[in-house]
Amino acid sequence: MVAQMIEGWNLVIGIEIHAQVNSKSKLFSSSPTDFGSKPNSQVSLIDAAMPGMLPVINKFCIEQAVKSGIGLNAKINKKSIFDRKNYFYQDLPQGYQISQYKDPIVGEGFVEIETENGQKKIGVERLHLEQDAGKSLHDQDPNFTFVDLNRSGIALMEIVSKPDMSSPEEAVEYVRKVRSILRYLGTCDGNMEQGSLRADVNVSVNKPGNELGTRCEIKNLNSFKFIHAAIVYEAKRQIKLIEQGESVNQETRLFNTQSGETRSMRSKEDAHDYRYFPDPDLLPLTLDDDWIKGLQDSIPELPDQIKERFINEYSLSSYDANIIVSDKATSEYFEDVVKNRNPKLVTTWVTGELFSILNKKNLIIEDSPITSKQLGELVDNIENGKISNRQAKEVLEEMCESGKGALEIIDEKGLSQISDENEIESLVDNVLNSNPKNVKKYKNGKEKLFGFFVGEAMKLSKGKANPKIVNDLIKKKLSQ
Amino acid sequence: MEFDKKSLLKLGKLARISISEDKLNNLSKDLNSILEFVDQLKEINTDQVDPTSNSLNQALEVRDDKVDNQNSTEDVLENAPEKEMDFFVVPKVIE
Repeated sequence: MVAQMIEGWNLVIGIEIHAQVNSKSKLFSSSPTDFGSKPNSQVSLIDAAMPGMLPVINKFCIEQAVKSGIGLNAKINKKSIFDRKNYFYQDLPQGYQISQYKDPIVGEGFVEIETENGQKKIGVERLHLEQDAGKSLHDQDPNFTFVDLNRSGIALMEIVSKPDMSSPEEAVEYVRKVRSILRYLGTCDGNMEQGSLRADVNVSVNKPGNELGTRCEIKNLNSFKFIHAAIVYEAKRQIKLIEQGESVNQETRLFNTQSGETRSMRSKEDAHDYRYFPDPDLLPLTLDDDWIKGLQDSIPELPDQIKERFINEYSLSSYDANIIVSDKATSEYFEDVVKNRNPKLVTTWVTGELFSILNKKNLIIEDSPITSKQLGELVDNIENGKISNRQAKEVLEEMCESGKGALEIIDEKGLSQISDENEIESLVDNVLNSNPKNVKKYKNGKEKLFGFFVGEAMKLSKGKANPKIVNDLIKKKLSQ
Repeated sequence: MEFDKKSLLKLGKLARISISEDKLNNLSKDLNSILEFVDQLKEINTDQVDPTSNSLNQALEVRDDKVDNQNSTEDVLENAPEKEMDFFVVPKVIE
């Protein structure tokens, strides 16, 4: 339906991601950055912009920005400058945000995303460091706004893409990919619910061959679902306006997560006039070649490389590899289980059964009730034929409920599969001997009865017989 | 650079300062004389000079990522004209 509405139109999408640096203290002050603390309990006199306070930059934050830049295949600028971005708002006590304007710490780079038409390169324009603002609460009182400055001054990395995305799906993939890279690097925890990673999306539409349309910016989207929904709504809104002969106003819009609509926040006429200028309290930031080289050497294996390796080392399909590496914790879990085991079987159990349990319980893999070691033990018992796939599912459920190990449950329930050929042969003989009429019918051409014999043998074994051996033996006996 | 009344009012609006009509003339005269003074810098030829954001020839001071939370909520809110439940309270602003 989306495609239908938008068919015949080009979408041009650019995204600004605000990613909170994974630091203990703020960008320019030593206040803590913990989420969910009591209001105004993590505010230094610098964060509250008391007169005479001077900002001193957090070295760790500089490192994280450079690491992120390397992860985004981007140019690291050896000299960057902090500027004041001036605007008046109640949750910005300084009256300006310290940010970077013309000379950001990281320049152009790119990330690669998977699309239905294969790999696509999305350009990154820049990454710069800046301060977060405080938080305004508007719903506490009908006449007043309440302000909490705990977030004020926390370090953010703003990552600006080029307008290279042309569908809501590509936009979501891009944000997913950037988030995944930052999480692998450990520079941002990527927690979107807590606002550690949020996106501003620029959308415009135009007819193929025509010049670019006027863009609108949708602010502060904090889930993949909302990013997708906001773009779809916004594209449809703009197309409708143009088709009705009206024009799109360049403006900033807000997405209402309840109604799924966007509404105007401020138009171009009221647009901020930020009057950027270099912050006289801060000298230019210069980086040393050796220092940058040291960080480059510390970069861990990133999702694209791990995917490549999983495909080569474990013969995973590109599809499966993609699912597994998209999340750092998942790829670590998978690697723990797959060591010395059958990769295909492990992939099935991780992305199939384990994921379905996690989904059902609404858990992330870090909180999985089944450890990688436990899942490995389960897979071992499937691989050595002790239990069937069907039995293994039962064991997994039980592992999840009781926290017991696979072997313990198999023993307790007497589940272990019978793979001993002699034992199964006697079962099969028993079945064939007690059903002489059916054997005769089968031999006279009623081949459908094969399933009946298998079923009887399985029943006799209480479901424990290895189905493959049962099949083989019955086939052999009946053809004698 | 000439500072006319219109840009003066815009500047006032951006800083949330109201400028009354009777003060406009004097204020723009003052600002213009400041700008004229600073404009003298333009007489220097800077063709061969890189733009600089700071005249000190020093490296930026950095600090380690250590938490030091000395200020209490009470200290921080002490000068707030209005406070409630540990929040700063300001007139309703919704953008």
